[in-house]
Amino acid sequence: MEAAEQLAASPSLPGAAGAPLGSKLSVLVAQLRDPYAFAGVVIYIAFVLVAIFADALAPYNPNDILFTADGQLAASLPPSAEHLLGTTQLGRDVFSQLVLGARPSLFVGMTAAVAVATIGTAAGLLSGYLGGFVDKLLMRLADILLGLPFLPFVIVVVALIGASLQHVVLAIVLLLWPNPARVIRSQVLTLTQRQFVEAARVTGASEWRIMLVHVAPNILPLSFLYGSIAVGWAILAQASVSFLGFGDSDVVSWGTMLQDAYASQALDRGQYSWFVPPGLCIVLVVLAGFFIGRGYEELLFPKLRDS
Amino acid sequence: MAELLAVDDLAVTYRLGDTLVHAVDGVDLVLPEGAMLGLVGESGCGKTTLARALMGVLPGNATITRGRVLLAGTDLVSLSAGEHRARLWRDLSFVPQTAMNALDPVYRLRDQMREVLCRRGGLSRAAADRRSAELFTTVGLDPRRLMDYPHQFSGGMRQRAAIAMALALRPKLVIADEPVTALDVIVQRQVLDTFRGLGLELGLSAIIVTHDISVVAYLCSMIAVMYAGRIVEFGPIERVMGEPAHPYTMGLMNASPDLARAGAELTPIEGSPPSLVHPPMGCRFAERCPFAERACVQAMPATIEVAPGHSAACIRSGEAGELRRRAREVATWRQ
Amino acid sequence: MSYVGKRLLHMIFVLWAISTILFFMFRLMPGDPTLAYLDPNFTEEQRQLVRQQFGLDRPLPEQYLIYMKNLAQGEFGLSFRQRQPVSGLMLAVLPNTLLLTMTALLVAYAFGSLFGALLAWKRGGLLETISIPVVLATRAAPEFWIGMLVLAVFAFSLNWFPSGGANIAGARYASEWDRILSLDFLRHLTLPALSLAIYLQGLPVLLMRSNMLEVMREEFVTMARMKGLPERNVMLRHAARNALLPLITAFAITFGQLVGGNVVIETVFSWPGLGHMLVDAVANSDYPLAQGAFLLIALVLVLMNFAADLVYVLLDPRVTHGSR
Repeated sequence: MEAAEQLAASPSLPGAAGAPLGSKLSVLVAQLRDPYAFAGVVIYIAFVLVAIFADALAPYNPNDILFTADGQLAASLPPSAEHLLGTTQLGRDVFSQLVLGARPSLFVGMTAAVAVATIGTAAGLLSGYLGGFVDKLLMRLADILLGLPFLPFVIVVVALIGASLQHVVLAIVLLLWPNPARVIRSQVLTLTQRQFVEAARVTGASEWRIMLVHVAPNILPLSFLYGSIAVGWAILAQASVSFLGFGDSDVVSWGTMLQDAYASQALDRGQYSWFVPPGLCIVLVVLAGFFIGRGYEELLFPKLRDS
Repeated sequence: MAELLAVDDLAVTYRLGDTLVHAVDGVDLVLPEGAMLGLVGESGCGKTTLARALMGVLPGNATITRGRVLLAGTDLVSLSAGEHRARLWRDLSFVPQTAMNALDPVYRLRDQMREVLCRRGGLSRAAADRRSAELFTTVGLDPRRLMDYPHQFSGGMRQRAAIAMALALRPKLVIADEPVTALDVIVQRQVLDTFRGLGLELGLSAIIVTHDISVVAYLCSMIAVMYAGRIVEFGPIERVMGEPAHPYTMGLMNASPDLARAGAELTPIEGSPPSLVHPPMGCRFAERCPFAERACVQAMPATIEVAPGHSAACIRSGEAGELRRRAREVATWRQ
Repeated sequence: MSYVGKRLLHMIFVLWAISTILFFMFRLMPGDPTLAYLDPNFTEEQRQLVRQQFGLDRPLPEQYLIYMKNLAQGEFGLSFRQRQPVSGLMLAVLPNTLLLTMTALLVAYAFGSLFGALLAWKRGGLLETISIPVVLATRAAPEFWIGMLVLAVFAFSLNWFPSGGANIAGARYASEWDRILSLDFLRHLTLPALSLAIYLQGLPVLLMRSNMLEVMREEFVTMARMKGLPERNVMLRHAARNALLPLITAFAITFGQLVGGNVVIETVFSWPGLGHMLVDAVANSDYPLAQGAFLLIALVLVLMNFAADLVYVLLDPRVTHGSR
C-alpha cells in the first residue's frame, strides 16, 4: 500500500493529476487569488445574502397591489423614492419583486447545479471506470438525451406533468447531466491508464478503493467546473421557461417578471426600469458561474475529447 | 575564402514574468563561404536561441540586447522590420527541428512551395512548380509527392521537404536546428547525406545546430562549442575534435561513444550548467571543470587563439596538451 | 465500417429513441390516450380519418408500429385548432425558422471568427481587457432579454424597424420566393436576427481566440514568419485557417441547437416559425401539432450534429487523406 500511496502522491505536473486530496483543496483555494474567480465568489455571496434577507430588504410584498396616496392604482409608475424601480402595470413594486425573485432563481440554479454535477460525475466515473455494458448503456442514454432539443423538451415535460419549480429543475437536470458525464468519463479513461492506478492495482487495492481514493479526487475539479457552469444554464433555462409562460405562476422569479413586463407592453412604453434589472441580475449570476469556472481553468489543462 | 557571416558579441535575453534569462550572452562567430559550421552544446546552452536570433525571428518575449550579425557585410540586427523581412528566406533560410509541426497541415506541399516561390520569389505558378520539382529531386524526393499533405510524409521525407523549401530562393546561408534529431539512425544518415551532397554540389553554406557531435563530425568543416550562453571553443573540426583546447570540449569527447575507442568507458561530465538568470562572473564552466583555478572564477576568460583559426576561452589553453592527457583518464572527471 | 457509416447509424438510433420516448410520454397524460390525437371538436369524418391513420382502436404494440410508420412518412395527424394536417402547417413555417437561424448564425460566425482572430493577434492589450468580459456577458444574458432590449430600443423607442411578425399583416405575395426576398421580409428579419446574432457570437469569438492562441504557438506559424511572409498572411492564411476548423463544426452543431432554442426569440418577435408554433401548440393543448413541431425540431438537431461530423471529416485533410 505504501508504494502506491507514494506514487499517487507524486504529481507529474504541479497541482495536477495524481496528487492527494488535501493538496488539491489547497490548490483550489489558492486559485481564488485570480480576480475573476474572486469576483465570481463575491457576486454569488452577495446574491445569496439578498435571497436570505429578501423579506427584510423588500419594502413591499411583491404580490400586493398598491395604491397611491390619493387612492389611485399605483400603476406603471416611474422610479421614485417610494418605488426604487417603479411599479408594474397592476401596481406592484418592481424592486420588491426583484429582491424576492432572487430566491427561486438561486434555488433552481443551485439545486440543478448540485444535481447535475453529482449525477454527471457518478455516471462518468462508473462509465469510465467499469466500462463494458454499464458504459455502453450510460453513453447510449447520454446520446439520446443530448439529441433532445433543450427548451422544447423542458416545455413539453412541464406541460405534461405540471409547472412547478421542482418539475422545471427535474427536466433541466435530466437534460444536462450527460455533459459532465461524458467529459468526466473521458478523463477517467485517461487517468486509469496512468501509472498510479496500475501501481494501486498491483498492491491489491480493491476496485472501489481505487475509484474513490485515487481516481475521484482527480476529477473533482471538473465536477466543480461543470457545477458552476450548470448554475448559469439552469437559471437561464428556468427564466426562459417562465418567460414563455410555462413556469410556476405562483412564484415571482426574474423570469416571470420579464414575462409580465413583456405581456404588459412595458417595451412599448419604454419602461426600462422594469425589464432591465431582472435581466441584469440573471447576467450577473450566470457570469459569476463562468468566472469561477474560468478561475479554475488552469487545473483543467488537458484537452478532453469525447472518445 | 570570403567571410559570409560574422557574429559580433551577440546577446539575447528572454523575459519570463519579472525574470530575465540571458540565454545568449556575448557570442562571436565567423563562417566562411561554402563552409558548414556545427554548433554544438547540451540542452539549454542557448544554441537554438542563437539560431533563431541569427534569423531574426524570436518569440515575443525575447530580444536581441546587443551585438551585430553581419551577413555579407550587412548588419541584420540594425535593419528595420521591413528591410529585414525582405531579406528573410532570400539571403538566409531555416530548416526546423524534425519533431515539430513545421509544415502547415492544411496545405499541400506544392501550395506551400508556391507560397514561397511566387509571393517571395516573384515566379509565376508554372515556373514555381518547375522549380519545386527540381528542388524535390535535388533532395531525393519524388516530385509527384508535391501533391501530398505533410501528414502523408514520413519523418525523414518531411525533413527533406523542409530542406527543399529552405533552398527555394537560393539563400546564401541555411541554418538548420537539430535537423536529424528525431529520426531513426538509417533515415538520419539519408538526410545527412542529402545535406552533404548539397554542400559538395551547390557549395552550400550552413550552420548545423545540434547536441550530437557525430552529426557535426560527419557533415561539418568547422565547429563551435557552446556552453551556458557563450562559445567556449571554435575552429576547424579536425583540430577541435582531435586536439580540443577547452576542458568542456575535452569532456564532450570523452562522453561521446566512439567506435574507435571501443571498450573505453564513457565518462559523463558531473554536475549541470549554471543559471542563466544570474550567471557567474567568471568562467561558467569552472564549477564542473577538473582543471579550474582561483583565477577562473574571478573573471570571464578571454578567447585565446591556440592555433590559426582555432580559439578557446580558457586561461589554461596554453597547457592544452597536458590537460588533454589528464582528461583522457577517467579519474580526472570523478570529483 | 467507415466513420460516416457509424455516425449515420447512430443518428438513426437517436431519432428512433426520441420518437419512442415521445410516443410513451403522451401516454403519460391522465385520461383517455386517444385525447392525444382526437379533439372533441373534430367532425366525425376527421375522427374517422385520424383513427384510421393512427390505428387508435388497435392494441398498443400495433399502434406503436403504425406511429413509427407514420413518422417515417411525415404523417403527424390533424391539428386540433386548425383542423389541418400538421405536416402542412409545419412546412409552411419551416422556411421562416430556417432563414432566421441561418442569417443569425452566418452573421454571428463571420463576426465571431474575425473578432476572435483579432483578439488573439492583439492579445494583452486594452481591447482584450474590455472585450472578454463584454463577450462573456452576452453569453450570460438570456436570449429573450437581449431580444427585448433590441426590440425596445430599435422598434419602439427609435421606430426604425417593425416590432413583430415576418411580413406586414395581410400582405400577399406571388410565391414563397417573392415573400422571402422582399424588402418587407428583410426589415422584419433584421431585429430578431440581430438579437440572435448578439447572443450567438460569444462562442465563435472565444473559440476562435483560444484556437488561434494555440495555433500561433505552432512551429509552422513561426516558419511562415521566417519565410518573410507579411504578418497579415501569417495570421490569416496559416493561423486562422487552422484555427477555423473547430468553428465550422461548432457552427453546424449550433444550427441544430438553435432550431429548438429559437423558441424564445420567435416568441419575443412574434416570428411565425417552428418554435413559436410549438409554444402556441403546447399552450393550447394542441397535441398533434406540439408533437409534430417537437419531432421536426429534434430531427433538425440530430441531422445537423451528423452534418457537423461530416463537415469535419471533409475539411481536415488529416482525416480525409488518412495518416501514414
